[in-house]
Amino acid sequence: MPAYFATSMYAFMGAPLLVILVLTLAGRKLAEKWALTVGYIVGIIQMLTSIIAIILLWQYNKASITFSQFWSIQANDGAAYFSADVFSLIALFCIGMVTFAAFYTAKTMIGKKAFQFTNLMMVMILGMNGLALVTDLFSLYVFLEITGVSSYVLISINRDNKGLEGGFKYLIMSAIASAFILVSLALIFINTGSLRYEDISAISSSWMELSNPILILVAFVFLICGFSIKSGLVPFHGWLPDAYQSAPAPVSIMLGGIVTKMVGVYAIIRIVSNLLVESDTVVNTCFMVLALMSIIYGAVAAAGQKDFKRLLGYSSISQIGYIILGVSTGNILGYIGAIFHFFNHATFKTTLFVNSAAVEQQTGLSDITKMGGLHKQMPITGTSNIIAFLSAVGIPPLAGFWSKLFIIIAVWQTNGAIIASIALVASIFTAVYFLRIQKNIFFGPVNEKFADIKEAVKGFKLTEIALSVITIGCGLLFPVLLLLLQAQGIV
Amino acid sequence: MSILNIAILITAALLILTGLYMLINTHNMIKIIIAIEIVVKAVTLILAFAGYVTGQYAVVEAFIITMIVIEVVVAVVAAGIAVNVYKNKGNMDVSELKKLKG
Repeated sequence: MPAYFATSMYAFMGAPLLVILVLTLAGRKLAEKWALTVGYIVGIIQMLTSIIAIILLWQYNKASITFSQFWSIQANDGAAYFSADVFSLIALFCIGMVTFAAFYTAKTMIGKKAFQFTNLMMVMILGMNGLALVTDLFSLYVFLEITGVSSYVLISINRDNKGLEGGFKYLIMSAIASAFILVSLALIFINTGSLRYEDISAISSSWMELSNPILILVAFVFLICGFSIKSGLVPFHGWLPDAYQSAPAPVSIMLGGIVTKMVGVYAIIRIVSNLLVESDTVVNTCFMVLALMSIIYGAVAAAGQKDFKRLLGYSSISQIGYIILGVSTGNILGYIGAIFHFFNHATFKTTLFVNSAAVEQQTGLSDITKMGGLHKQMPITGTSNIIAFLSAVGIPPLAGFWSKLFIIIAVWQTNGAIIASIALVASIFTAVYFLRIQKNIFFGPVNEKFADIKEAVKGFKLTEIALSVITIGCGLLFPVLLLLLQAQGIV
Repeated sequence: MSILNIAILITAALLILTGLYMLINTHNMIKIIIAIEIVVKAVTLILAFAGYVTGQYAVVEAFIITMIVIEVVVAVVAAGIAVNVYKNKGNMDVSELKKLKG
């Protein structure tokens, strides 16, 4: 394995830090002019680095690569270090993609706050990249908080009443979640004396024989509650639609596209696959019940919403439910489905949030009942919206179909036909609320008020086209990936 | 488990419950921030207890110092939001933060 491979990994943690340093030293005027450009360049660099890293891992037949940022792993035994496997590289690719979309569309939306916006976004990206790479639970908590703090400030960056309200609600719920997570970390630490992933997996198989099984049980309860709040599973979802609705457009692209999934879902997948083995049916059943509740409640609540972004928030709750349902099965098919749905959700939800920003910018409204017939004036936005929502519903051959198929097959194998058919029926509700958006905004009679509006500006169009191409491309190329997985004997 | 250990855990549990009770029953933003800090203090106590039980004082010391720094940042951001709400509205009543509805 070449040495430059490990060196290239520094880009994930180094690039955001470097951008903050350079922008702060460059002076206000220069920084404000170039901030957004530098931002989407960071997104592109991150996408390219993660793709190259995945290819190299494949080529050298390695499961993961370990490295550390400012210190040597060999020098002191027991020091924290980073590790990247295929799942973390997929997550890093998603972060890069959503970063690109948020910065590329931010130019007209963010105005004079470009400098603050870019610096805060870089802190957020640093936090999420760290989350994807850490190998122990306490570092996970630290990066969780870095991501969280920057997102509270970003939601309320305009200092209007709506933003402050959404930011404060998110902050309070998230602070309680962090406290719960820390309690469970402390209780796990009592039993293991270490918080590294590999040391923790030892307790999972034999926790009933430990000296304090009650403490571990309490730790599991706090852990499930904490991460359910962070990822917005029902009944801990209260803050999520408010935060999405109140945030400025580029920030809600970032929040809806990746942040909730990184701090909640990614952490759950990591912990369930490391800390809790498949045989631990109590925890898996808990996650399954939470996931089913989220799927159904999110879909039903989304059908009654008027605000475009709030509707997308409820839709996120429902889709995150599918990812967690895949994880809760505990078999390899479910994990692959969950990871692929993680990627797909990042793609189509970003497209939908970009569309909502484009519509809001052109019409000045976010209430879907007051629009109509925009498809003629905004053909690219309308078409990319159709592709994104068909992928979300799970229509072949788009990418969303394959991931939902995997998840439902995995659920059928482990939990029987009834739960699988509940998930399948709820998928039809997804079609109901997305058709409602499509009919109210893009189809139907033209509203007289909007007779003279035009297609969104260049940044929006390019992002929409690129994301739609990714959705269609992944859907069409997925059989090839399936054959590769079959050749490795995984599926 | 000795009586001291159980007493520490019960104290921490009571502190967490106090914080959550306060969080539910108050409408003042500053009081909400204080409630969160009480919960966090309980967590600090449990972490210190974990170090005492396992004998790994150095590791837990590092954890607690990192955690205190993070919680200060969170409290400052929360206070910043509260100050801005006060500037916009003239009070800090969370029961008036009801603009966002479906």
